[in-house]
Amino acid sequence: MTEQTPSPNPAEAPIDPLSTHPASPFMHTEAPAPVAFASPPTPLQVVPSSSTWVLYRTQIEFGLAMLAYLMVLVGSVVVVQANPEASWRYVVVLFPVAPAAFVIWLFVRALARLDEKQKRIQMQAFGFSLGFTALITFGYGFVEGAGMPHLSWTYVLPLMAVLWALGAAIYTWRYR
Amino acid sequence: MAVQVKNRLRVLRAELSWSQAQLAAKLGVSRQTVNAIETGKYDPSLPLAFSMARTFKRRIEEIFEAEGTRV
Repeated sequence: MTEQTPSPNPAEAPIDPLSTHPASPFMHTEAPAPVAFASPPTPLQVVPSSSTWVLYRTQIEFGLAMLAYLMVLVGSVVVVQANPEASWRYVVVLFPVAPAAFVIWLFVRALARLDEKQKRIQMQAFGFSLGFTALITFGYGFVEGAGMPHLSWTYVLPLMAVLWALGAAIYTWRYR
Repeated sequence: MAVQVKNRLRVLRAELSWSQAQLAAKLGVSRQTVNAIETGKYDPSLPLAFSMARTFKRRIEEIFEAEGTRV
C-alpha cells in the first residue's frame, strides 16, 4: 500500500468542501430528487374519413348489413314457400327490402366519404358498369328473341355489381 | 388545348420529412391520392390545391406549375 504524497502544486491539491469545517456556516444538503412532471397532453387525434380505420369499420358494417339481408331473404322465402296461399305472403316477400335499403344507405354514405380522386374512380367505374351492362343485356335480349332461354331480371343487378367492381379495379390501377 | 400541370409536392414534403400518409391525413385525402398527385397522374381540384398551399404555407404557384411556364 502506497501512501499518497501531497502534490507539490497547490492548484492540484484537493479542496475540502466548505461544509466539512466545524466552524463552517454551510450545511451539506443532498440534491433534491427529480420531480416527475406529467407530460403535456397530446393533441386530440382526428381520424380523417379516408383513414384505414374508417374503411374497415365501413366494410364491417356493410358485411353485417349484407348478412342481415341474406338472413331475412332466406327467412322470408322459407315462410312464403311454407304458406303459398296465405294472403300476407306479399308483405313477407317484401321484408328483405328493409335491410337492402340499409345496405344502399351504407353504400351511399361510403361514397360520400371518398376523396375527390376516389369519387372520380367510382364515377368512371359506374360509367363502365352501366355501358357494359347495357351492351350485355341488350345483346342477350336480341339473342333471346332468336330463341335463347329467358333470363330473370334479377341477374341485371349482380351483373352491374361485378362490372362495377371490375371497372373500379381497372381505373384504380390506372392511377397507380 | 389541355394544360399539363407539374407540381413540387414530393420535394416540399421531403423538406418537412413528412410521409405521404402524414400529408394525406393533413389534407383529408387518401395516401393513394397524394401519390397520384405526386406522380402527375391526377391533378387536384382547386380547393385541394388551396388546402395544400395552406398546409405548406406557400403560394399555389410555388407548388404547381403549368407546363412551359416559370414560377
